[in-house]
Amino acid sequence: MRRTRLLGAAVALILVASCSSGESIVSDGDDKDTTTSAGSSGSDTTAPAETTTTVAADTLPDCPTAALADATGTVDLTFWHGMSGTLEEELQALTDAYNSSQSKVKVSLVGGSYEETFDKYLQSNQGNRPDLMQSPEYTLQALIDTESVVPVGKCIDESGFDTSAFIPAALAAYEAQGMQWSLPFNVSNPVLFYNKKVFVAAGLDPEKPPTSLEELASYSKQIVDSGAAKYGLALESGFDSGGGWFIEQWFCKAGEYYVDGDNGRTSRATEVLYNNASGVEMLTFLQQMVADQTAVNVGDNTQSGYDNLLKLADSQEPAAMTIATSASLGPVLDVLGGGQFPNIGSGDVGVGPMPGPNGNPGVLIGGASLWVVDHDDPVRAAAAWDFITFLTGAEQQSQWGAGTGYVPVRSDALEFEPYKSTLANDPRFAVAGEQLEASPDALTSAGPVVGPLRAMRAVMAVAVAAILGGADVQATLDDAAQQSNALISDYNALND
Amino acid sequence: MKRRLRDLPPALAMLVPSMALLGVWTVYPLVKAIRTGHLDCNLTATKCRDVGWDRYVDVFTSRQFQDALMVSVKLALMTVPAGLLLGLGLAMLADKHLRGIGFFRTAFASTVATSVAVASLVWFVLLQPEIGVLSDLFSGWIPALKNPGLLRDPDTALPAIAVSSVWAGLGFTFIVISAGLQSVPKELYESALVDGAGSWRRFTNVTLPMVSPSLMFITVVLTTRALQTYGEVALLTQGGPNPERPTTTIPYLIYGEESLIRNNLGLKSAAAVLLFLICLVFALLQFRMFDKRVQYSR
Amino acid sequence: MGRYVLLVVVSVIVLFPIWAVLMQALKNGRDSLDHPRSLLPVDLTFETIREAWTQGNLGRLLANSLFVSVAVTIGVVITSLLAAYAFAFLDFPGKGLVFAAFLATMLVPAEVTVVINRRTAESLGWVSSYQGLIVPSLASTFGVFLVRQMFLQLPKELREAASLDGVGHLRYLWEVAAPLSRPTLGALGLFTFLGTWNAYLWPSQVINDDDHKTVQIGLASLRNADINHLNLVTGGLVIAALPIFVILVVFQRQLVRGLTAGAVKG
Repeated sequence: MRRTRLLGAAVALILVASCSSGESIVSDGDDKDTTTSAGSSGSDTTAPAETTTTVAADTLPDCPTAALADATGTVDLTFWHGMSGTLEEELQALTDAYNSSQSKVKVSLVGGSYEETFDKYLQSNQGNRPDLMQSPEYTLQALIDTESVVPVGKCIDESGFDTSAFIPAALAAYEAQGMQWSLPFNVSNPVLFYNKKVFVAAGLDPEKPPTSLEELASYSKQIVDSGAAKYGLALESGFDSGGGWFIEQWFCKAGEYYVDGDNGRTSRATEVLYNNASGVEMLTFLQQMVADQTAVNVGDNTQSGYDNLLKLADSQEPAAMTIATSASLGPVLDVLGGGQFPNIGSGDVGVGPMPGPNGNPGVLIGGASLWVVDHDDPVRAAAAWDFITFLTGAEQQSQWGAGTGYVPVRSDALEFEPYKSTLANDPRFAVAGEQLEASPDALTSAGPVVGPLRAMRAVMAVAVAAILGGADVQATLDDAAQQSNALISDYNALND
Repeated sequence: MKRRLRDLPPALAMLVPSMALLGVWTVYPLVKAIRTGHLDCNLTATKCRDVGWDRYVDVFTSRQFQDALMVSVKLALMTVPAGLLLGLGLAMLADKHLRGIGFFRTAFASTVATSVAVASLVWFVLLQPEIGVLSDLFSGWIPALKNPGLLRDPDTALPAIAVSSVWAGLGFTFIVISAGLQSVPKELYESALVDGAGSWRRFTNVTLPMVSPSLMFITVVLTTRALQTYGEVALLTQGGPNPERPTTTIPYLIYGEESLIRNNLGLKSAAAVLLFLICLVFALLQFRMFDKRVQYSR
Repeated sequence: MGRYVLLVVVSVIVLFPIWAVLMQALKNGRDSLDHPRSLLPVDLTFETIREAWTQGNLGRLLANSLFVSVAVTIGVVITSLLAAYAFAFLDFPGKGLVFAAFLATMLVPAEVTVVINRRTAESLGWVSSYQGLIVPSLASTFGVFLVRQMFLQLPKELREAASLDGVGHLRYLWEVAAPLSRPTLGALGLFTFLGTWNAYLWPSQVINDDDHKTVQIGLASLRNADINHLNLVTGGLVIAALPIFVILVVFQRQLVRGLTAGAVKG
C-alpha cells in the first residue's frame, strides 16, 4: 500500500509540476561555468565571438581539380540529396546523363528528406559521409562549422572556373567570411500569385500587380469593397514560408539586417535585430490587414503545403492574392488545368514579383546548394567538382529548370532549350529569375547566416501566428527575439 | 541452493543471446544517453563539455517540456480508456460462435496490419477538408471538419490525433483481449447462471476478473505508446497548429522538424531519458494498481 | 440477429478509413482531384498503384522488407525460446533481478536508442547493410514474456519425467517444449513479422543507399510528392499494406489461438 502511495505521489508530482520553472529549455547550457573548447569566448550573450572578416583560406582543405586527370579507373562517388518525386526523377536523369557521357566518374544518388539527409550527415563519421551533399540554404553556417567540407571557392580558383554567368545573388547566398562555400543548384524564391479575373472585376489592371506593402493593402481593400473576392490576400505562417522565410525576405527588401555581423556574412552572428521598428511595422501591417478582414490567415500550411494557394481557388470565400514559392507555379497550373475550380483557371493566374517594404526589388534565394565533402583524397574532390560543374552547367540548368520549375542559377541557361521554350510559352515562369537578378548588390541582399536558423524560423512562425491572431506585436517579437538569441548563444558557445 | 548453482551455466548459455543483444542495442544506448544528458556538445558531437546533473532538472522544469508532458498525458487520457473500452467491446461483440464470425474477427483485427505511418496517412487523407471524405459526411455535426479542418483547429487537433491512434491500436487490443476472453472457462459462466446472475453480473463477476491480465497488459502498452507518440504528430500536425502548438508531444519536442533542440545532443538525450523515466513510473504505478485486481490462473 | 447488425455496423466503421483510401488509390490522378469525395469507385484503374510502384521502386523495397522481416522473425523466435526456457524451467541466483531488467528494457523509447545505435552500427560498418537492419532487432522482451507464459503452463510432470529419462535442456526445448508451444510461437512470429515490416525509425536511420531501403521508407518519400500527385501516397499505402492484410486474413485464427493457448491451463 505504501509503495502505491509513493508511486501515486510520484505521478502526482509529475502532473502537478506544471508549476514549471517557466524557463526555456534552451536557456540551459549558456550560463554554466565550464571549460569550453579553446578559442571560445564563453557564453556571454553580449561578448562578441572572435570576429573574423575573412577565414584563412589555407586552413581549409584544398581542391586540386587537376587530380582527376591522373585517376586510374573509375571514381565512384556518392551524392546525398533531398529531392523526391518528380524532382528526384529529374536529378536521376541528369546524373545518368553525366555517368554515360564519360567514364572517369560514376555518381550514385542517395535520397531522403533534407532533414534526414542533414541529420545523417551530422551524425556520421567522416568516413561514412558522401562525396557530395545537397543541403538547403539555412544550413550554411552549420556546414561551415562541421569543418568537413572543401569550399568550392577553392575549386573555382584552382580551375579558373568562370562564374560570371551565375546570378550574383544566387552565388552570394552561399558566400560568407570571404569564401564561396558551395554552388547554388536548385533555386526558388517567393512570388506573388494573383487571380487576374478578380483584378479585372475589382477595376484593377491585371498586368500590374502590387509591389509595395501599401499597394498590397490598398488593392486588397479595393478587391474586398468591390465584392470581387472575399479576401484580398491569403496569408500563412508556415515556418519555411510565410512565418519565417518571408520575414527574412522583407528585411532584405527593406535594406536591413536580420542578424548582426552583417547578417552573419562578415563575422559570426550573435543576436537578432528583427525586433526593431521595421520588424514591428511589417508585422503590424499584416496584423492590421487580418483585423480589417482584407487578408485571411489560413494557418501553418502543414497540411498540403498549398493551403494559401488553395484559398485562391476556394469556391465560397476565395482570396485574390497570395505569396508562395516560385516552385509551386508548375503544380498549381497543372491542378487548375483540370478546370474544376470555377473562379480561377490556369490562364487566370498572374505571377508578379514578391511585394515588400517600399516596393524594393530583390529577394533571397531558397532551395539548396551543392557541397564537396572533404575526404583528404584529391581524386575524389576533383571528381566531385567535375560533377558539380556539370550540374550547374548552362544546358543542364536549362533542363533542370524546365523539368522542375526551379530557377536556373545562371542567366545563360535561358538561351538553351528546353528552358528557352518554357519561358517563351509561359512568361510567368520568368518572374522568379528576373527578381533574383534585380537584387541589389549589398550585404543585406544575402540573407542571414546563423547556425540555428531553422529553429529560429520555427520561433518566428509561432510569433507570426500569434500576431496574426491579434497579439501585441512588440511584445511578441521581443519574446521571439529572446528565444532566438538564446538559441544563437547556445549554438555559438558550442560550435565556435 | 544446489539446483540454483547447477542451473546457472545452462541458464547463462540460454540467456546470453538475448542479453547480449539487448545489452548492446538497448541498455548501452540508455546508459550512454544518461551520460550524454549532462553534456553540451557541438553539432557533430565531437566536442562536449560537462554541465552537471542539474541539466536533468532544468530540462524537466522547462516550460517546453512541461507543455509537452501535458500534451502527452492528455493524449494518454484520451487514448487509453477509449482503446480499452473499444477493444473490450469489440472482443465481446465477436465472442460468439456465429456463422461467418471469422470474417468479422478479421475485420476487427485488421488495423494491426497498419504501421504508424500507414494509419496516420490514412487519417491524414481522410481529414483534409478539401479532399477528405469525412468533411462531406459529418460537417453538419462537427463544423470544424470542414472549416478549418480538424487538424488545423487548435481545439480539435489533439483529439483528431487521438482518434487516429485509437483506430490504429484497435486490432492489437482486440486480439489480446479476445484471447483473454476465450480462455475464460465456460463452467464459470454456467455456474453463475445457475446462481441466478444476470448478464451484467456475469460480466462483472466472471468476465472482468478473468480478463483482467489482458486488460492490464493492454493498459501498460497503450499508455507507453501514448507517451511515446511521435509518428502521428509528425505526419498529421507537425506539432502545431501555431501558436498554441497543442499537439507537441515529448518525442516530437525532441525530434520534430521545428524542434528547438534538434542539434543539441545533450538536451535531446536528457529529454529522452526523462521520457523513459516517466514511462517507467507510469508502468510501475499501473502494475501496482492492478496487481491486487488481477487474477492469474496459476 | 441484432448481434449481426451490430457486427456489420462496427465492421463498417472500423474498415471505413481503409476503404476510403483504397478507393482513392484506385482512381487515376485526374479523378482523384476532380472527384475526391466519391466513396464509390469512379473509373477503377490500377494506374495510380502502378505509378506508385514504379516511382517508388517499390518492387525492390518490398523484397528488402520481406527478407529483413523473415530474418528478424526467425531470430526473435530463437532468442525468445532460449531466454524463456531459462526463466521458466531453470532456477539461478539473481533470476528475479534479471527478469525485472528485461521488463524495463521494454519501456525504453526508440528515440533514446536510435541515435546511439546508429553510431554503433557505423563503427561496425553496418550502415546500409542487411545486418544493420536485422541484428539490432533480434531480441525481443515481448517475445520472451509470451513464450515464458506458455512454458509456465506446461505440466511440471512432463519435465520431471523427461529429466528422469536423461533428457537434457536443449533436447527438451527442441523436442518437447517448442512443439507444444507451436501456436504461441506462431503468434509471436506473426507479431514480429508485422512489427518489422512496419518499422520506420530504425531503417530510416541506418540505411543510406537506395538498395537496402524498406517499403515504409519508400512510402514516406512518396508523401513528399507534389500536390497533383498526392494520391500516389494512397497507391503506395495500398502496396505497402496489402501483403500484410493477406497474411493477416490467412493467419488470423492462429493468431488468436496462439495467444489463448498461453493463458489456458492444460
